[in-house]
Amino acid sequence: MRMKTTDLTRIYRLGPSEITAVNKVNLEITEAMFMAIVGPSGSGKSTLLHLIGLNDYPTFGKICIDDADVSLLSSSEHRKIRLLRMGFVFQTFNLLPTLSALENVELPMALAGKSSKEQTEKALRLLEAVGLSNRLVHRPKELSMGEMQRVAIARALANDPEMIIADEPTGELDSKTAKEIIALLFEINRKKKAIVVVATHDEKIVDVADRIYLIEDGGLRLQS
Amino acid sequence: MNSLVQGELRVRLLTLCFRNLSRRKLRTLLCIIGVALATTFVIAVGATTMRYATVIKEMNVLFSGQVMVVSKDAIVIQAIPIGGGMLPQNSTVNKIKNITGLEKTVPILFVTPSIEVSGTLIPVPENFSMGVPVEDWRSIFGSTPLKGNVGHFPINESSNEAVIGPSLADQYRWSVGTKILINGYELEVVGILDTKLALLNRCVVMSLKLAQEIYNYRGSVNIITAKPVQGTTQKNLADAIENQISYVNALTEDERNDMIQPILVQVETWNLGLQTVVFAMSLILVMTVTLMSVSERRRDFATLDAIGASVSYVFRVVIVESTLIGVLGGVLGIFFGSLLALVLASLYTNISLAQFFPSIFEIVPPLYLIEIFAAIVSVSCIGGVVPALNAMRMRIAEVLRAEY
Repeated sequence: MRMKTTDLTRIYRLGPSEITAVNKVNLEITEAMFMAIVGPSGSGKSTLLHLIGLNDYPTFGKICIDDADVSLLSSSEHRKIRLLRMGFVFQTFNLLPTLSALENVELPMALAGKSSKEQTEKALRLLEAVGLSNRLVHRPKELSMGEMQRVAIARALANDPEMIIADEPTGELDSKTAKEIIALLFEINRKKKAIVVVATHDEKIVDVADRIYLIEDGGLRLQS
Repeated sequence: MNSLVQGELRVRLLTLCFRNLSRRKLRTLLCIIGVALATTFVIAVGATTMRYATVIKEMNVLFSGQVMVVSKDAIVIQAIPIGGGMLPQNSTVNKIKNITGLEKTVPILFVTPSIEVSGTLIPVPENFSMGVPVEDWRSIFGSTPLKGNVGHFPINESSNEAVIGPSLADQYRWSVGTKILINGYELEVVGILDTKLALLNRCVVMSLKLAQEIYNYRGSVNIITAKPVQGTTQKNLADAIENQISYVNALTEDERNDMIQPILVQVETWNLGLQTVVFAMSLILVMTVTLMSVSERRRDFATLDAIGASVSYVFRVVIVESTLIGVLGGVLGIFFGSLLALVLASLYTNISLAQFFPSIFEIVPPLYLIEIFAAIVSVSCIGGVVPALNAMRMRIAEVLRAEY
C-alpha cells in the first residue's frame, strides 16, 4: 500500500469559531515504513490519524491510496478499506468488553466473512504470537493493560492489514510493557512488511521509527 | 459470504447480544419484568374478555333457528333471562300455538339458583338450572350425548332425576347415581352431558315440572322457544307473536345477536385500547433502556465502526438486543398471563384451578398467545430502532474527541 495526502485539512466548527486541527498536510507513506508522528497534546496527531485511517473526512485536500483518491468515497467504502486493509490500535485498547480475547481477535475476520474455523485458527496463531496463548478465554477486564494492548494488536492484525495505525499505543502502559509493545509493533513492521503509523509522545517509539514527523498547530513537518 | 459463514455470524451476533444484555443485569431484568408484566396483563385481560364474549355468543347455539319469547319485563342476555319477568306457561304457550307459521314451541324455566351440596350453599352465578319438558329434550339439546354413553335423560316429568354439566360433575365429583340436594329436594344424577358449551357445562337440567316445583315457579316459565315452519321467517313469526301477545318480546336470532353486538364491540374496543396503551408503555420502556445502553456503549459502537463493521451489523446488534428483551419478557408474560387468566376464570366461577388446567387452551387459545407474543416482540423490535440509528451514527473520531 502507498498512501499520499495532498493539502489534507480538517477544520472543526465549534459554534462561531473554527479550529484547524490539521492544516494542509502533505504526506507520503510507502510500503513497510515505520512512521512516528510526534507533537504536543492537542497538536492534531489523533485527528491526522483518523483522517489517514479513513475514520474521518477531510474538510479540504485529498487522500490517495495506490494512486486512487479515496477521500470522496462513501463511508461504507471506507469501512471496507478499514476492515480489509488497515488495523487500528488505540491508546485505551477499545476491546469489546463482552468478548473474550480470542473472540475480540476473531471479530474482524467474522466481519470480513471468514469461516469460523479460519477465524479461530488465525486468532490462536496471533494470540500466541503476542504471547497470550494462555489468556484466550479471558475477557478484557480480566487482563492487564499490557495484555489488553497485545490483544488489540492481534485484533489489528486479524485481516492481514497493509497498514497499522496506532494512536498512543503505549500511553496507558508502564515503561517495561511499553517496550514490549514497541518491540511487537516493530517486529510486525519488519516481518509482515506492514506500514506502521504511530502517534506518540514516547521517545522509545521515536527511536525505532524510520521516519519521524512533528505536528504543531495542525501543520506537519519531517523531523528526521 | 456463503450461507454457513452468515449462519456463524448470526450465532456470534446472538451471543454478543446476550452478553451485552447481561452487562447490566439488574436493568435488563427490570426491563424484561416490565415487558413480562405488560404481556401478562394483556393476556389475562384479553383471555378473560374473550372467554366472556365466547360464552355470550354460545348462548345462541342451543336456540339456533328459533324465536325466543320472553317477558317484556325480563332482563336478558342473548334472550337468556337473568332477572325478572315470568310468563304464565299454559296461556302463553296456547296463544303461541294458535299463531300460523309455528312448527314447534317449547316452554323452558331457566333459573340461576344456589345449589346446596352436602350442606354447603354455593352461590350464584356459578351454576344454573334448566327445566325442560322431557318430551322436548331432543329439540333443545339436539344430539348432545351423555358422557361415556352412560345413563339416560329423565324419563318422565315427575321423576326426581337430573342431567348435569361436565364441569359441575368434575368439581363436585358427581357421577351417575349420585344424589344431589337442591332446595330440599333430593335428585339423582342420571347422566352427565358431554359438551364444551359454557352454558351447559355448569347446568343442572331436569324436567320442567320438577324445576317449577323446586324453585317455586309453579305454572310459570321464563323462556318459550318458537320454531317457524319452513317458508316462514323468524321475523314474520316474531312479529306475529308480538302483535298477538302484548306482554312478550319475541326475539329472532338476528335480534338477539344485535342486542349483544354493541356490548361485544365495546368490550373489544376497550380491550384493544388497553392493549395499545400497555404496548405503547412497553415500547417506551424498551426504547429508554436500549437508548441508555447504547449511550453507555458509545465507545464499543465507535470501535466496531473503526474496525470496519458495517452499519447494518451495528444496527442488528441493537435490534437483536431489544428484540431479545421482548422475547424473554414475552415468554414470561405468556406463562404468567395464562396462569392469571386461569386464576381469574377460577375466581369468577369458583371452580378449582386444577380443574381448569386440562382446558387451559380453551381459556387462552394458542393463536391468541401467538398473536400477543408476536405483538410484544414486534414492539420491542421497534423500540430498538431509534437507539440502533443512534448507534449507527457513532464514529470513533467523535467519540474519542468527546472523551478527552
